[in-house]
Amino acid sequence: MDFNFTEEQDMLRISARDFLAKECPKAKVREMAKDERGYDVRMWHSMAELGWMGLVFPEEYGGMAASFMDLVILMEEMGRNILPGPFFSTIALCALPLLEYGSSEQKTKFLPQIAEGEAMWTFALAESSGKYKASEVRLRAVLRETDYVLEGHKLFVTDAHVADYILVVGRTGDGERPEDGITLFMVDARGPNMKMETIPTIGGDRQFKVSFDGVTVPEDNILGKIGKAWDIVDFVLQRAAVLKCAEMSGACQAALDMTSSYAKERIQFDRPIGSFQAIQHKLADMLIDAEAVQYLLYQAAWGINVGSPSRWQISVAKAKANEAYQRICIEAIAAHGAIGYTMDHDIGLYYRRVKGAQFAAGDTDLHREVIAVGLGL
Amino acid sequence: MDFRLGEKELALKEEIRKFAEAELPPDLVRNTVIDGEFRDFEFEISMSRKLAQRGWLVMSWPEKYGGCGASLLEQTVYEMEIAYWGIPGAWMGISGIQWVGPCLMMFGTEEQREKYLPLIASGEKDGVWCTGYSEPNAGSDFANIRTQAIRDRDDYVINGQKVWTSAAHRARWCWLAVRTNPNAAKKHQGISIFIVDMKSPGVTVNPILNYYGRHHFNEVFFDTVRVPASNLVGEENKGWYYLMQSLAFERRSIAPTTYGSLKRILEDLAKYAARTEYEGQPLSKNPLVRGKLADLAIDLEVLKMFAFQLAWRIAQGQIPVYESSRNKIMGDDLMRRGAIAGAEILGIYSQADPDSEWAKLNGAVQGAYLGFPGQAIAAGTAEIEKSIIGQFRLGLPKSY
Repeated sequence: MDFNFTEEQDMLRISARDFLAKECPKAKVREMAKDERGYDVRMWHSMAELGWMGLVFPEEYGGMAASFMDLVILMEEMGRNILPGPFFSTIALCALPLLEYGSSEQKTKFLPQIAEGEAMWTFALAESSGKYKASEVRLRAVLRETDYVLEGHKLFVTDAHVADYILVVGRTGDGERPEDGITLFMVDARGPNMKMETIPTIGGDRQFKVSFDGVTVPEDNILGKIGKAWDIVDFVLQRAAVLKCAEMSGACQAALDMTSSYAKERIQFDRPIGSFQAIQHKLADMLIDAEAVQYLLYQAAWGINVGSPSRWQISVAKAKANEAYQRICIEAIAAHGAIGYTMDHDIGLYYRRVKGAQFAAGDTDLHREVIAVGLGL
Repeated sequence: MDFRLGEKELALKEEIRKFAEAELPPDLVRNTVIDGEFRDFEFEISMSRKLAQRGWLVMSWPEKYGGCGASLLEQTVYEMEIAYWGIPGAWMGISGIQWVGPCLMMFGTEEQREKYLPLIASGEKDGVWCTGYSEPNAGSDFANIRTQAIRDRDDYVINGQKVWTSAAHRARWCWLAVRTNPNAAKKHQGISIFIVDMKSPGVTVNPILNYYGRHHFNEVFFDTVRVPASNLVGEENKGWYYLMQSLAFERRSIAPTTYGSLKRILEDLAKYAARTEYEGQPLSKNPLVRGKLADLAIDLEVLKMFAFQLAWRIAQGQIPVYESSRNKIMGDDLMRRGAIAGAEILGIYSQADPDSEWAKLNGAVQGAYLGFPGQAIAAGTAEIEKSIIGQFRLGLPKSY
């Protein structure tokens, strides 16, 4: 057993932290929440130059051939700084399944563009029920000559407005199980017969309803096998759950650090409020929550890293992160008092992102159910 | 990073399973959380002996003191499994294995080590210890102890009273904290530790029954008890440092043992829910039951990681500052939640006496329910542990 990161991993963390502290201060986060694109183009290209987009790609696709754990470390730092933009949707939701399930033509065509920061992607799964279940996939895809024609809509598609491609989960058939007949389409996001409507969110990120009104997709742009793509969706949900956990873990640590510093500086009754047990014990609880998220995250990520991912451990980590991140933010605001409730203070930026993070790659109920099944229930 | 258990640990788990199946009566009442170790002492000591024969009782100690030099990781796995199977007799009272032995190895003289460590390792009654820390006016404010030791030629003479002394009625030895310098500038600077033979003239042990009528702890009076100066541990007036170390050792083992016993309870509850019909379907289909058990499983996994992380840090030769406190808070809180959720799932049967034929799951849930409030106080309340985290991990000002 070994809880240490490698020296290279420690260096990756430090360089990511330094870069983000410099390039992505909270003023930038606030600015991007109002920005039409929602991310800083210059920063995006710098990130690509640092090799972040292609971090886990093999070198032949312009990548750094780093490990999944390295990506976790990077995204923990992104979460600490609440980096705005389409990194999660491009890399966690799309590049990873492309890498795992894409044909060599598809990989050669798409991955280098992503590594260079030239292409952005997003993933479209949820429909009206908002649930990530195969039974809820209604979007129809019908074969007409050599193209599939998509009819339906998707909700809460992140960063669709800047995406070049959307991975769309559609139904090409019906079988015994709802998972049968699910197909994944790589849809040109700038093509005709598609409509995007903003879904304004409390997190300040960019989410959309995307309507497909006779969108044609050539057969070449199917990822995996026709009618058998639910396994890929499942893969995406598991990997993305871990990477979202990484962001949440970083955010938990940032909220804790911020509150701990404030408790040392803020004087009331002639003493720093951190000397009061009501505040100190709250902070101790926050620390335990933050470390719980960290270690569950590392355990789940390590399983993936060594090629034996555990669905159960992934769900345990995401379910914990969902609750702990929310609790830490609420306690952090309480410890700050009224200033924590203001637009000017940073803690609110973290709290406002709780909801989006919870629903990304599976809400608590979804993961609790996986855990219950694992218990033999 | 690597979170795999090694072959040694996996083999150990398997051996302990076989041991439990061979040696434990099938209807063993598994309410150790409330009973501690001392209810059926003869049976417990018989198990201690068997654990000693296996080389498990003090596995992480060096061979020359009766151990087999196992790693702290193996020790952690052993503690988890012992608790999972509910194997009694693993602790030789409530101090010897967990902190008296390790502290003597760090701070004791070679004579002390050679005399006391093999006794503990033997699994015999003469190796059973208790610990004299709390006093009527020194609970969380532990440095306030008044029991006094005064030097008299080659002896020290001890007078005073200890309270909540677990296993004192079974112990041959007491690991005793006393005041040796009443004039020290700060209270904690005048404290020393002695080894006291519980058979010494002047030692009186009175039972204190817990709220369920069980005899776990005691009050212990010391009336002009003479102890040879060679029984002083480490240096005079440096006891506070040893005490803090002993408490860190004690708190360390809480996470593995709580993990083990709760894991068993969780698994048994899952099986109970699967075989119990309610409204025409198994109770396990009930979303509330599923949610309760899943929530426990999540934090049980946290507790496991915390336990391994702490063991790993110590094994690296680092001195953990706050992790023991973190683990104790997490373990106690989870024991509380597990007991309450378990009782909710057992429903009306959860009020049955754990020893009675009406108790489900051999009384394990009731044992936890009755035991957790006490366990949460022993070795430091949640409030004390959180203050330790606040002060020593987060760098906040002292809060008391």
